[in-house]
Amino acid sequence: MRRIVPAGDRALLIVFGDTMSPETLADVLTFEAALRRVKPHGLIGTVPAYASLLCTYDPDVISGPALERQLRALAAPQRKRLPQAVHEVPVRYEGPDLARVAQHAGLSVADVVSTHAATEYLVYAIGFAPGFTYCGILPEVLATPRLPSPRTRVEPGSVGIAGRQTGMYAVASPGGWNIIGRTDTVLFDPRRRPPARFRPGDRLRFVPA
Amino acid sequence: MIEVLSGGTWSTIQDRGRPGWERLGVSPGGPADWFAAAAANALVGNDPDAALLECTLIGPTLRFGRGAMVALMGGETATSENGIAFPVAAGAELKIGRVQRGLRTYLAVRGGIAVPRVMGSRALCQLGQFGGGFGRPLQAGDQLPIGNAPTPPSPQGGGRFSQRLPLVGPWEVRAMAGPQGDAFGTDDFARFLNTAFRVTPRADRMGMRLQASGLRLHPVEILTTPVTQGAVQVTPSGEAIVLLAEHQTTGGYPVIATVISADWPLLGQARPGDTIHFREASLAEAQRARGRLDSWLRK
Repeated sequence: MRRIVPAGDRALLIVFGDTMSPETLADVLTFEAALRRVKPHGLIGTVPAYASLLCTYDPDVISGPALERQLRALAAPQRKRLPQAVHEVPVRYEGPDLARVAQHAGLSVADVVSTHAATEYLVYAIGFAPGFTYCGILPEVLATPRLPSPRTRVEPGSVGIAGRQTGMYAVASPGGWNIIGRTDTVLFDPRRRPPARFRPGDRLRFVPA
Repeated sequence: MIEVLSGGTWSTIQDRGRPGWERLGVSPGGPADWFAAAAANALVGNDPDAALLECTLIGPTLRFGRGAMVALMGGETATSENGIAFPVAAGAELKIGRVQRGLRTYLAVRGGIAVPRVMGSRALCQLGQFGGGFGRPLQAGDQLPIGNAPTPPSPQGGGRFSQRLPLVGPWEVRAMAGPQGDAFGTDDFARFLNTAFRVTPRADRMGMRLQASGLRLHPVEILTTPVTQGAVQVTPSGEAIVLLAEHQTTGGYPVIATVISADWPLLGQARPGDTIHFREASLAEAQRARGRLDSWLRK
């Protein structure tokens, strides 16, 4: 089930579903890999996130309808297995919103930490700002709404919670997630290749440091 | 070298940006008014990808260490003529001053601003604090290296650029129906097109918040999805945000419309308080409009 819709005159959005699930993410990443192998002339880039894939193109090289035909013709590939390796991310659980998350969950701070660290997560997107790492699926008990008003500055390495997502800020930016900890892992460095530490489909686990 | 004597309000080094890196959360960036930037480069005979200065509201004051051919294009200032290449002598100062019509003006120098490329581009990445020479807007004391002019310079170098886009509102910008139409009610797009939006002061290179009295849209929440320049997001409170060049790469608000690339320059010149109307455009109309601007640049 794929739906292709224009996102302006220089991009097409392919929608694979509307839920956060490992299967849908695998569909997105499988299709992206197949597309990058074919490399249609005029395709500039692909942006995967959760259940959709953006394809940007140069209309001087390929028209939107022509690219759309190529996307439709791409044989639905066999869903790839996501990588099995689990990356460990050391975290100092001392964020300013730990108490807020604990209160919302009705748990002790220690239980919030152990629950957050006991779960294996999947990276669903690198987006919003350079290297910001969206992970899921957060255990329901820890799900906490965003802050009523966002902070003007969140430090790089901050680990946060928003709804059923947990994520990491790679660069200083404004943000409304509940910050529960901090990692020293460098998540983004524009001079490194690849610049981002993680990519969609990676598995990771937070380890209290 | 060019020495920055004063940085101005928000002056940044821009080229055509970093398209293709959005998958790592890096915005494509580039000029908010791509047409004015491309015209400025053409006026001094630069390649279209040469780096130049985007000057917002109050431009910088510069001292030229050597003589150079320069051109200003886009928002109009009181001090220098817009749309024509002119020489600046070695040792001379160039004060850009306040942009009086429009919001952003572009200063191109023959040879381009030769700061190092980071991730393939010289443009500032504001959120990542890299590129643009210094990882931030210009400040007094910065030294800007001038690159070698392409040989031979492109033919229109030194000429006058007569084709202009509007610099002041009220604005009519053309937009295609957005990719998340089904997150809205059936006549929401029609109501959106019939609404006058006002640009709020919460506007920068990433996006502009727009306000409309009387329009109430209540879209459903969506799963985080990639977004593009020109996307008009609608928040749960019914506010609209139109994304500009330095936009976030993903978003959780549904997009009701996408402004066509031929009209991105208008958004780049809109000021807080201005009125914006959106008019529906087809993909074919978007391409014709874009082709017209591109043909003006080739002349």
